[in-house]
Amino acid sequence: MEKVDVIIVGGGLAGLSCAYELADSGMTVVVLERGDFSGSKNVTGGRIYLSPLQSYLPDLWKDAPLERHVTKEFLTLLGETNSTTVGLYSDRFNHDPYPSYTILRAKFDRWLADLVSGKGIYVIPEKKVDDLIREGTKVAGIKSGDEEFGADCVVGADGVLSFIAEKAGLRQPFQPEHFAVGFKEVIELDPKTIEDRFGLGEGEGAAQLFVGSLTKGMMGGGFLYTNLESLSLGIVVGIHSLNRREPREEVYKLLDEFRERPEIKNLIKGGNPIEYSAHLISEGGIRIMPKLYGDGILLIGDAAGFGLNMLVTVRGMEYAVASGVLAGRVIKRAKEKNDFSASSLAHYEELLKDSFIMKEMEGFKNSLHLLENERLFSKYPQAISNLFEKVMTVDGGPKERLYKTIWQGLKKDFLNYQTFKDWLQFRRI
Amino acid sequence: MTELLVFSEKNDLAFELVSKGREFAGALKMGLAAALLGEKAGAEANEYFAYGADRVYVGENPALAGFNAESYAEALYQIAQKNDAKILLIPSTKRGKELAPRVAQKLGAGCVTDATAVELKDGNLLISRYALGGNTVAGEVIKTAHKVITVMPKTFELGPKEDRKGEVVKADLNLKAPRARVVERQEKVGEKVDLETAEILVCIGRGLEKKEDLKIVEQLAKALGAEIGCTKSLCTDYQWLSEDRLVGLSGKKTSPRLVISLGISGQIQYTVGIRGARTAVAINKDKQAPIFAMSDYGIVGNLYEVVPMLAEKLKSA
Amino acid sequence: MNIIVCLKQISDLKYIRIKDRKPLLEGAPFIFGDMDRNALEEAIRIKEKVEGTKVVALALGGAKLKETIKAALAIGADEAVLLTDPLFANSDTAGTARALGKAVEKIGGYDLILAGEGSTDNFSSQVGPRLAEILDLPQITYVRKLEVQGKKLRAVRNMEESFEVVEVDMPALVTVANEINQPRLALLKDILKAGKKPVQDWKAADLGLSADQVGAKGSVREVVSNLAPEQARKQVVFEGELKDVVENLFNALTKEGALGR
Repeated sequence: MEKVDVIIVGGGLAGLSCAYELADSGMTVVVLERGDFSGSKNVTGGRIYLSPLQSYLPDLWKDAPLERHVTKEFLTLLGETNSTTVGLYSDRFNHDPYPSYTILRAKFDRWLADLVSGKGIYVIPEKKVDDLIREGTKVAGIKSGDEEFGADCVVGADGVLSFIAEKAGLRQPFQPEHFAVGFKEVIELDPKTIEDRFGLGEGEGAAQLFVGSLTKGMMGGGFLYTNLESLSLGIVVGIHSLNRREPREEVYKLLDEFRERPEIKNLIKGGNPIEYSAHLISEGGIRIMPKLYGDGILLIGDAAGFGLNMLVTVRGMEYAVASGVLAGRVIKRAKEKNDFSASSLAHYEELLKDSFIMKEMEGFKNSLHLLENERLFSKYPQAISNLFEKVMTVDGGPKERLYKTIWQGLKKDFLNYQTFKDWLQFRRI
Repeated sequence: MTELLVFSEKNDLAFELVSKGREFAGALKMGLAAALLGEKAGAEANEYFAYGADRVYVGENPALAGFNAESYAEALYQIAQKNDAKILLIPSTKRGKELAPRVAQKLGAGCVTDATAVELKDGNLLISRYALGGNTVAGEVIKTAHKVITVMPKTFELGPKEDRKGEVVKADLNLKAPRARVVERQEKVGEKVDLETAEILVCIGRGLEKKEDLKIVEQLAKALGAEIGCTKSLCTDYQWLSEDRLVGLSGKKTSPRLVISLGISGQIQYTVGIRGARTAVAINKDKQAPIFAMSDYGIVGNLYEVVPMLAEKLKSA
Repeated sequence: MNIIVCLKQISDLKYIRIKDRKPLLEGAPFIFGDMDRNALEEAIRIKEKVEGTKVVALALGGAKLKETIKAALAIGADEAVLLTDPLFANSDTAGTARALGKAVEKIGGYDLILAGEGSTDNFSSQVGPRLAEILDLPQITYVRKLEVQGKKLRAVRNMEESFEVVEVDMPALVTVANEINQPRLALLKDILKAGKKPVQDWKAADLGLSADQVGAKGSVREVVSNLAPEQARKQVVFEGELKDVVENLFNALTKEGALGR
């Protein structure tokens, strides 16, 4: 059986980051990607936060093909026929080094794959891994088609439904409530038009999140990101919510309706839809995290369950990059000692615990429970919009005193036992 | 006088080119001639004159006994050289298409194959053909004095036949025996099906799970009075239907009043074959299938459910 | 036996986008077309059957060819000759055949030249016959089955009305049809070794060709336009209850007069 030092299964952000970290180590590293090219199967909303990644691959980002650096953040609470938007602009977001950028994965991943190939690592597309090869408890390699190929270490970077994690016996069975499905559309739009509509300067970007009636009471939300020459518009819905709903809603239909809302319609007007994609998102957090290592095996990125719904944002990409890099460091160390056993690779978990990844996964571990609260996606956004609408309305009769309007609104929708209990839950986020 | 020269191993296809060639030759002030090659090829000479040829060159050389690209290319080359034929029109059959570039190479000529349209523009011929896998139509112009064009069958209409006389010239050819020898010919059991003139077409693709299920398609075709066509998978790959029924870039280009595409995703290699349809309908269970963008009406649904119901509806209406 | 396989690098048309009728291929990966891969596969199969066979992959294309050709080497070609000189850029079929012809002569000592029936992008099917003429070789096209019998080839050609069985003494040029074989997937171990196989890159000057014999200057054909046809379809889609959608379709077609009743 042929053999290399490291086989990384999956050529997405995690896999390529791990490969990049291993590039100057002298080891033979092979990345196996099942799509036509890296990025062909990857989707994000989305936006990547670079601040947490400053100590991981610091030199990567200056030449990276990122979209716009985000200077404006919007949160929109959608009622049926009204909505309330909170917008934030900060100078802090508008100074180099910019904290976050919108990103298009097909473009970015391909660039990263080319960069990694250029460093002497084999990045092989159209290669699907069908099985792991075991020697006792040890993972000794992979099987693709009829071919067996050995490695000192196999890295599972194969995404949210990680086949490698399953084959290695590291993962528990999935529950639908741990996952959400995201549907996205990329709409081509002239950069000047984007900048005019969102009030942005050249190269600046906006990120907008939507919660409320767009998901018809199901857990989830919508997003709108500005790329250089396009908009990313999409919806995320919890699978458990989807399954429970009678009659069943199709997510792409939700996106169709979302697109028709006046808040959205005029922002995307004249745009040309060029791409549709869908992806599973792991939202279960730390509760569903698999075992992260074994004899000759490590899991990184979505395959390791590193995905988190923080309500105001969904995190995954930064975890993918950071965990890939940490895995790379652990592998280098293991090679020095020539020890790829579980006890050696356990160092990976130690590094993770010290990193922002595990600290955030721990911190937000109870957020999933809050996200199951249906009122968060229906009653509260509607009530807040209604209240704000009342405050802002000047109609036929004399306008009521503001305090009265607000107090009555609060009394009606928020001052009750249920909301109080919900508030207690909210402290968990 | 310079000439426009037509050649085809199939007379009826040659007549189409002669009919249109008459128009070009007139406008470009050229003579119109045809090459008749092989045994007894000269028999149809009068038909060529009737369609508009001034002259035919008859080449009856042992090297031309059976069609082969090598000798036929050399024969056409010699005839063209001797008679100052500057433009060669050849139908885009398989034989025509393998012959034309070789003749062009001998003549130092530019060549365009699979033309779907040829027009006179500013004294030059503007040739259209599908490009980029059928996604686009390219307009091309040949820069050299000699031009070789292969034209898709039925691109030009047969003109009226007239009572004309022409000159029969015995071509004096100097040919070597062809090096490739045909040792056997297995006639294909083809079907006499003419999709190109069908009024209504029902086309079936990979959405069909097994050969026996063709019954459902036949039911619908019967209710509509339609011919049945298919995509490459079903004929060339699975052999469930004969290749005469292949619709698409490498098959028939059809222009029916109505075409219904069943279980076909709508790859460009297929849709090129139904572009000429007046009304296009698609039935596919995948809402994102590209076929819907190429259709006037579509049903997102399982063809195994939709087709029988549609056939019923048509029968009872 | 020595085989030269001619390959054309094209953009993967799966990724083509049409904008304002113009074709956009930026971002599309480079691949070899279907029939090119059939030709290469056929060469490797002959190599496996006939001892001492060497397969050279020959291709004219842009700089990316250096990467793309690895796929051919991984499948089993022994070495590659590339023509990536910028002077060759925008060559038409005549210019390409001219350059390939010179390269084949420089490689020399071949028994069989294999190519696909046509390229998947433009399907002109010209380079094969032109090359055969340049090299004064017999051409056998549309081959769906190929056998090497000593110094002879026996081929079954897929013609419209018949399957034609043809024999020819080598050297010869053969173009293959898509149905001749199912191209294999490269093994990982061969992919890793592909980068080590010899690859040469010959410039126009190495082939004794001047700038106006190749590239755009050496073209005998000019493409004056290349646009997607006008899209005039209604794109009405019926979804919902089976009975309703069938009813809707029937009514729409009746209204259009499409049913001819």
